Amino acid sequence: MPIYDLGYRHWSGRRTSHPYRWWAITRRGVGMLAKNKRFLVLMILSGIPFLARSVMIYASTLTEKNIPMLRIDARFFEDFLSQQMQFFGLFVAVFAGAGLISNDLRANALQIYLSKPITRRDYLIGKLGILVFFLALPTLVPGLLLFLVAVLFKSNLEFLQEFYWVPGSIVAYSLVIMFSFALIMLAFSSLSRSSRFAGVNFIAIFFFSKILYGILSSILRSSRVAWISLGNNLTQVGDLLFGHDPRYLSPGWASILALALLGCGSVWIIHRRIRAVEVVS
Amino acid sequence: MSANAKLAHGWRNINTIASLTLDTLFWSKKTLFVAAISVLVMLLSLVGRLIMTYRWIRAPFTSAEVFSSLMSTAVIHFLVVFVTLFYGTALISEEVEGKTLTYLFVRPIPKPTIMAGKYLALIWISSLLVIPTIFISYAILYIRTDIGPFLEDIGTLGKDIGIVFLALLAYGSLFSMLGAWLKHSILAGLVYAFGWEGLISYLPGFTRKLTITHYVQSIFPHENAGTAIAMMIGERSGLLESILTLILLTGLFLTTASLLLREKEYVLDQ
Amino acid sequence: MSPILEARNLSKWYGQVIAVNKVSFTTGAGVFGLLGPNGAGKSTLMKLITGQLRPSQGEITLLGERIWNNYPLFNRIGFCPEQDSFYERMTGGEFLAALLRMHGYSESEIAQRAQAALETVKLVEAGDKKIGGYSKGMRQRIKMAQAIAHDPEVLILDEPLGGMDPVARSETIRLVRDWGRQGKCVLVSSHILHEIEAMTRNIVLVHNGQILAEGDVHQIRDLIDKHPHNIYIRCSRPRQLAELLVAFPDVVGVRFHPDGDALTLESRKPDEFYDRLPEILLRNEIELEEITSPDDNLQAVFHYLVK
Repeated sequence: MPIYDLGYRHWSGRRTSHPYRWWAITRRGVGMLAKNKRFLVLMILSGIPFLARSVMIYASTLTEKNIPMLRIDARFFEDFLSQQMQFFGLFVAVFAGAGLISNDLRANALQIYLSKPITRRDYLIGKLGILVFFLALPTLVPGLLLFLVAVLFKSNLEFLQEFYWVPGSIVAYSLVIMFSFALIMLAFSSLSRSSRFAGVNFIAIFFFSKILYGILSSILRSSRVAWISLGNNLTQVGDLLFGHDPRYLSPGWASILALALLGCGSVWIIHRRIRAVEVVS
Repeated sequence: MSANAKLAHGWRNINTIASLTLDTLFWSKKTLFVAAISVLVMLLSLVGRLIMTYRWIRAPFTSAEVFSSLMSTAVIHFLVVFVTLFYGTALISEEVEGKTLTYLFVRPIPKPTIMAGKYLALIWISSLLVIPTIFISYAILYIRTDIGPFLEDIGTLGKDIGIVFLALLAYGSLFSMLGAWLKHSILAGLVYAFGWEGLISYLPGFTRKLTITHYVQSIFPHENAGTAIAMMIGERSGLLESILTLILLTGLFLTTASLLLREKEYVLDQ
Repeated sequence: MSPILEARNLSKWYGQVIAVNKVSFTTGAGVFGLLGPNGAGKSTLMKLITGQLRPSQGEITLLGERIWNNYPLFNRIGFCPEQDSFYERMTGGEFLAALLRMHGYSESEIAQRAQAALETVKLVEAGDKKIGGYSKGMRQRIKMAQAIAHDPEVLILDEPLGGMDPVARSETIRLVRDWGRQGKCVLVSSHILHEIEAMTRNIVLVHNGQILAEGDVHQIRDLIDKHPHNIYIRCSRPRQLAELLVAFPDVVGVRFHPDGDALTLESRKPDEFYDRLPEILLRNEIELEEITSPDDNLQAVFHYLVK
C-alpha cells in the first residue's frame, strides 16, 4: 500500500478478552519484583518460621508427652499465620506494595496506563494481584504446606480426620490478611508520589493502632476497644475462622466491620486517586 | 576570610539548606498525616481526662499514670521513632529519588554542611511535631481550676521533654545516616525500629545496650513504666552513661552521614 | 588557548561496565559540543566534569583544579543537568533564589540576579508560578536560569534543548553563542548533530565511552561525506525507479532486494537525493510504500569513523 494511502491499521490478530487485561499488569509486576535480590532474600527469610514450625511438628511426633508448645492443633496454625502477618506480612507489603502506585504517580505513568484499553478497575486489580501474590508467599502457601507437613508426619489419619477443616480456615484467614494488607497498602501508595510515605504510614497505622489500643485498654481496663487495632482485628477474625474463643472482649462482628470499612475506604481512596490527568493549581 | 566570617558563612549555609529542606519536606500534605498521629496522642489524653472527670469507669487512675503510659508507649516508643524515621530517611533519599541532589552538589557548599542543614531541619520538624504534643497532653491531664496540680509534676514534664529531645537527636541522626547510605533506607529503618528494637526483649545481657531505646528508657523518669518496658530494657544504665551515650551516638551517626555524603557517589537513575 | 577544562586519560567504570574509557581532551574559552549517540558516555562525562562522580582513573581539572569535593570551584561553574527534576512546589523565582542563597549573595543581590536570569530565559511572567505547572519548555528554561544566575565562567549544559519549541530552541542557541563570545567556556552535550552545529564548530565526538574525533565540525562532516549514504526504498516499480535515479552522478550504487519490490541505493549527496526524489516519483506515477535510511543517524557516522 502506498505511503499516502496508509492510515491507522487495526491489529488483525487475536486480542485478550477484556476481563483478563489486568493480568498483564500483574504478570509484569511479579516478574520485576521477582528479579530483585533483596526482595528474594526477604522471601527466603520469611520461610524460616515455616522451617521452625516444621521442626516442632517433627518433634511432636517423637514424644508422647503433652508439651503445650508442641501441641499441633488449629491454634498452632492460626498462631503461625498471625505471627507471619505481624512481621513478614508487613515487610512484604511495604517492600512489594509501597511503590506500586506511588512510583507510577511519580513517573506520570498513569497517563500511559489509562490511555491503553484498560479501565481503572483493571489497573487496580492488576496492582492488587501483584501484592496479593507476594503476600500469599509468607502466609497462605507456607500455611497450607505446614498442614501438609503435619499430615505427612503423622503416622495415622486421626489428625486429618480431626482437623480436615483447618486448610479451609488457613485459606480464609490468609485471604483476609492478604486482601486487608494489600488494599490498605495500595491506598497509601496512591496517596503520594513517595513510596517512603506510603511504606512508613502503612507501618504506622499498624503499630500505632496497636499502641492506641494498649493505652485505651489500660485506661478503660477492658479489651472492648480491640477493634481500634488493625492487628487485633485480624487476629480476632482469625479466632473466629479457626473456631476459637475470641481473645478480646470486643465482638467479632466489630472486627469484621472495621476491616470491611478499611477495605472499602481503601478502594474509595484508590479509585479517587487513579486518574490519567493531574491538575496542578 | 577570617575564622568568624567563615563560621558566619557556614552557619548561613546551614540555615539556607535547612530552609530549603523545610520548604520541600515539611510544608507538604505528608506532614498532615504525621500531625494527625500527634493529634491522636493528644486525643488519648483527652479521653483519659474525660474518664477521670466523669468517672465513667470504676477503677481510678491518676493523671500521672495516664501521662506515664502515653509517654512510654505512644510518644517514646512510637511517635519519636516514627517522625524521625519518616523525615530522617527522606533527607537525602528524597533528593536522590527526585533527582534534585544535583542542584545541591553543584553549589559552593561543603557536603557536610548540606548534611548539617538537613539535620537541623529534621530536628526542627520533629521537635515541632512531638514536643507540643507532650506539653498539650500534660496540660489536658493536669489542668484544674487552680495551678497547683499543673505544677505538681512540671519537673517530670521538663525531664520528659529533655529525654524526648535527646531521643529525637539520636534517632534522627541514625535515620539520616541510613538515608545517606542506603537506597532502601526506609526498609532498613523499619527493620531497626520495629524489628531489632522490638526483638531485644528476648535477648539477654549486653545486647540490650545495642539499641537507642535502652538508653532512652533508662533515663525515663516515670517510675511506674510498666513491666513490659522493664522487661524490654532489662537493667537500666545510669543517667550520665545514658545521656553521654545518646550524645555520642548522635555525633557518631551524624559524622558518618556527613562522610558518606561527601565520599559516596549518588547515581541518579535516568 | 589556555585550557579551562582538561581531561587526562579519564576513565570511569561501574563494575564490569566501562562508561568512560581513557578520555583526554582540552577546552578553553568558547563553545564546545560534546556529541554522541545515547549511551555513548556523554552524561557520565558531564557528571565527572561537574564533580558528581569520581574518576576511576585519570584526572579531570576545571580552571586548573580538581573538581571532586572542591566546593569553592562551584562559584565559577554553572551546570544544567539533563534530568527534568525540580522542587515542584516552589515557584521559578523561589527556586532561583534558594539556589543563589547558597552562593552567599545578599538578599538584594539574590533578587537582582534571579530577576536577570528570568529575563534572560524569558520566564519573567512565569517567575511566580509553581514549577509543577510549567510546560516542558519552561522547565528546561528554568533549569538554564539556575545555571547562569550566578554568572559563572564555565557552563556545562547537558542536552539543553530537550523539550524546547523551535522558538525557544533558537533563542537558547543564540544565548549559548553569546556566552561563548563573552569568553565563557560553554560545554554543550547533545546527540543531534545539527543542534551542535548551530552552536559551535568545535566538537568532540564520543562513542562507547571513547573519543572518536575532535575538532571542527566541517571536518567531521567531510569524513561522513566520504562514505556513501544508504537509502532503502520499497515501491511499485523499483527497476524503473532505479533506471531514473542512476542517471544522477551522486548515486554510486544500486542493489535490488530478493523479493523484487525494493532496492537500496547509495548516494554521496543524500540531501540532494531527498530533494529530487518526490518529483521523480510523482512525474512517473511510481507508488512509494516505504523509505528508510539505515545511515540517517549518528550511529552510522560513528560506524564509519570506527572502521
